[in-house]
Order: sequence, then structure tokens, then C-alpha cells
Amino acid sequence: MVERDHILEVRHLSKSFGKHVVLRDIDFQVAVGDVTCIIGASGSGKSTLLRCINMLEIPTTGEILYHDKDITDRGVNVSSYRSKVGMVFQSFNLFNNMTVLENCMVGQTKVLKKNKEQAKKNAMKYLEKVGMAPYIHAKPRQISGGQKQRVAIARALAMEPEILLFDEPTSALDPQMVGEVLTVMRTLVKEGITMIIVTHEMAFARDVSSHVVFMADGVIEEEGSPEDIFGNPRKAKTQEFLSRFIQG
Amino acid sequence: MPTDFLGRVVAVFQRYGMSMLQGAGVSMQIALVGTFIGCLIGFAVGIVQTVPTGQKDNPMKKGALWVVKLILNAYVEFFRGTPMMAQAMFIYYGLFPLVGLNPSMRQAAYFILSINTGAYMAETVRGGILSIDTGQTEGAKAIGMTHVQTMLYVILPQALRNIMPQIGNNLIINIKDSCVLSVIGVAELLYKTKAAAGALYMNFETYTITMIVYFVMTFTCSRILRWMENRMDGSDNYDLATTDTLAHTSGMYRYPDEKKEED
Repeated sequence: MVERDHILEVRHLSKSFGKHVVLRDIDFQVAVGDVTCIIGASGSGKSTLLRCINMLEIPTTGEILYHDKDITDRGVNVSSYRSKVGMVFQSFNLFNNMTVLENCMVGQTKVLKKNKEQAKKNAMKYLEKVGMAPYIHAKPRQISGGQKQRVAIARALAMEPEILLFDEPTSALDPQMVGEVLTVMRTLVKEGITMIIVTHEMAFARDVSSHVVFMADGVIEEEGSPEDIFGNPRKAKTQEFLSRFIQG
Repeated sequence: MPTDFLGRVVAVFQRYGMSMLQGAGVSMQIALVGTFIGCLIGFAVGIVQTVPTGQKDNPMKKGALWVVKLILNAYVEFFRGTPMMAQAMFIYYGLFPLVGLNPSMRQAAYFILSINTGAYMAETVRGGILSIDTGQTEGAKAIGMTHVQTMLYVILPQALRNIMPQIGNNLIINIKDSCVLSVIGVAELLYKTKAAAGALYMNFETYTITMIVYFVMTFTCSRILRWMENRMDGSDNYDLATTDTLAHTSGMYRYPDEKKEED
């Protein structure tokens, strides 16, 4: 296997809430251009892992190396790290006090210190990409769930991040809206953006990912190429989990 | 003096109306200044009280924050827990001379009302900040905002909207409760009313006027605040920034743009 540049490397990561251990000794790497899908049952720690990567949860032990620098170190500027790592949430988390356009501009003007015109131009570029350009004057409460999620993706993209994290981006949406969000995500995959996607959309994961991680009970049970995981899973837990999806 | 009630009211008003309206002006002024400065104090205290501390912060910062929070808590509890009338006497006749301050009566009134409103507003603001969904904070953090930026651009604007009814409440309470400050001799509406009623021995008539004046002041303020709330909510409608009429009717915008492909 050709060794590519690792943009992100998780080493021996563990997370517990009180006595409850959610993640145990997680190791995995992400190379530039990788699309990593994390699959697994609810409660297996997928979302917590993703939140740890963005430091929304502080890992109990372990390291997260971003360009070989451990971001869990004391004194690391977490905000500036986060500005390079975009995140899309299950519950959208658009800023309710701003319009669609402002949502996509505020990070650029306040965090990246761009001027307003530049920020607007950039925001419009990404809003067009996700098909939300006509809705720039709407407030989040005025648009549908799928539209909100597309705006959330544009907001993350407008920061021009090196990695995009998706935390179950379609789990709160009805089937029709799932389609529109997945379509947008597929175009991003084609553009070669590095992504880590926590998802329950197995068909989507099989199609787009370059690497699949299957988690169960807080550990990485099995990982590999989508062909291996979906076509030829080795572990019993993986087989059981996937069989339910294939039958259903 | 006329024999009918309304006639007597009019007579009292003709004689003491101007003085009472002046008093009403003073009441209003004290209430507005007190509410405004009180809100500023409330926001400052409420914001400090909701500063999060993580395990990663250095102990010095944590310690300093703990002391500041303790002092602010003491302030809130003390001023919420004692009557404003007693505070007025205590501060104006006791504390100010003790520290060598000699403010005018009006300044003292502003001070007492502000610091009282601040104590209540601190808790209101804290509640307002806590009422905002944590998703908003996470969304802001995820694009790299610091705590200060998150508060300034995302949380506080939403918290302010949520606590507007409570700010209105405070303003109305302050319009009425400014009368308590007559104990230190502030010539506000109730002070003037007492003088008028005492001079004419006509309590019923004089207080009728006072009640009406107070009600007009509070009702006007509550309407103005409601109007401000509606303005903050913004329009219920929005304009689509497109000439594609399909987007208007269906509420869905097609992508990739099918129209372009047809051309």
C-alpha cells in the first residue's frame, strides 16, 4: 500500500462519561482525499468519535494528530483548528438569528477576517453549489429540513476546510430530503474533498467511501475498503449488522 | 369646589396637574435610566456567570473566575433579598456619606434603581443564555468561533429576543416602584400626589388622576416594547433571490439547474 500524507491520525483514543466508557482505544488514519464512512449501530460511539475529532468532546485519553500535531495538547488553539475542520450536524445547528446568507458569511468575516464582499461572493458560490442561492434572505425557521442541511453544508464549505465531518447528516430528514442532501454530498465526493461521514445510509456509504470503519460497543470492530466491508465482512458482528440492512 | 366627583377631579388637576405631570416625568426618567443601566449590569453579570470552565483551563484563570462569580452571586442575592426602600435609606443616608460621596437625589435614585434592576436582570440574562439550544453554541464553535464571538454574534442576540418580555416587565415594575424612592425625597409622581392630596384633603380625586397617569405610562411602554419585539422577529415572509418561477411555486429549487441544460 502506498503511504499517502495523513492529514488526521487518531491514536489510542478513549472517552468515558463518568464510569461509562463510550470509546475504547480507537486508532485510525485519514489521508488527503479520503472519504471515510463510519457505520455501526446506535450507541456504538460513532458520533462521539466524530465529536472528539472536532474537540466538541474532550477525549479522556489518547491523541488526535492533525498534520502531525496533537490537538488535544494543552495550549493548542482549538478554535483555529476547528476553523479548518468543517462539521455538519444531524440537527443542522444553523444560527437562528441570521439569514441563510449571513449563516454562511459570519464565520468568514469573524473568524477568517475576510471582508464582507469577499465573504458574500464565497458564500454565494457554495450556496449555488448546494442549490440554496434563491433562499439567501430566508431565516432558518422558514426553510425545510433538507434545505437547512444544505445550507449547513454550504456554511461549512464556505470556511474552505481541509476536512469535512458529517454527523448523521440525513438522520433527521424524511426520505425525499435525504435524497437532496446525499446528492449534494456526492458532488463533494467527486471534487475530492476529504470527508469523515457518520451515517446510516449503507448504500450511500458503499458508493462513495474509500474507507469504511465499522464500530461496535465503542471499538473499531472492522475496517477496510467498502468492497471488503460490504461484500466480504469477516467479523460476526459486522455480518450481523449488515445483514439487517441488506434484508431490510 | 364642584360638587360632583368628575368636576372635583378636574379641579384638582387644574390646580396640581402640572406638578403631578412633572412628577410623572421624573418617575419615567428614573425608570428608563434605571432599566437601561440595570440591563447593562444584568448582561455583564449574566455573561460572566455563564462563562464555561473546562478541565484544560489553567488554575489561575479558574480561581479568578471562581472569585468573581462568588462576588457577583453575593451581589445578586443581596439586592434581590432586601427591600428597595430599605436599600435606598441605607445607601443614600448611610453608605454614600460613609465613603464621602455626595450625589444629588436624582443620581442616587438612578444608582439604586439600576443596581436593583441589575440584580434581577442578571438572573434573567443567565436564564436567557441557558435557554438557547446547545446546538447553536456547537454550530458556532464548529466554524472556529471563540467563546466571546459565539456569545456576541450567536447566543446573545437570541437570548436578548427571548428575554425582551422580561425587560418589559422590569421597565413597568420600575415605573411603578420608582415611587419607593420618595423616601429619600425624590419628587416623583407619588411624592407629588401625596403633596396635592394632603393640601386639598381630597385623596380619592387626586389618586384617581395618579392611577390614570401611571396606567397611561405603563400601557404605552408595554405597547412600545411589544412593537419592538415584533420588529426583532423580522418579517414572516422572505423574497426568493431568483427569477426562476418554478422556485416560487414549488418551494424547491432544482439543481443542477435544469434550465441551463435545456438551453
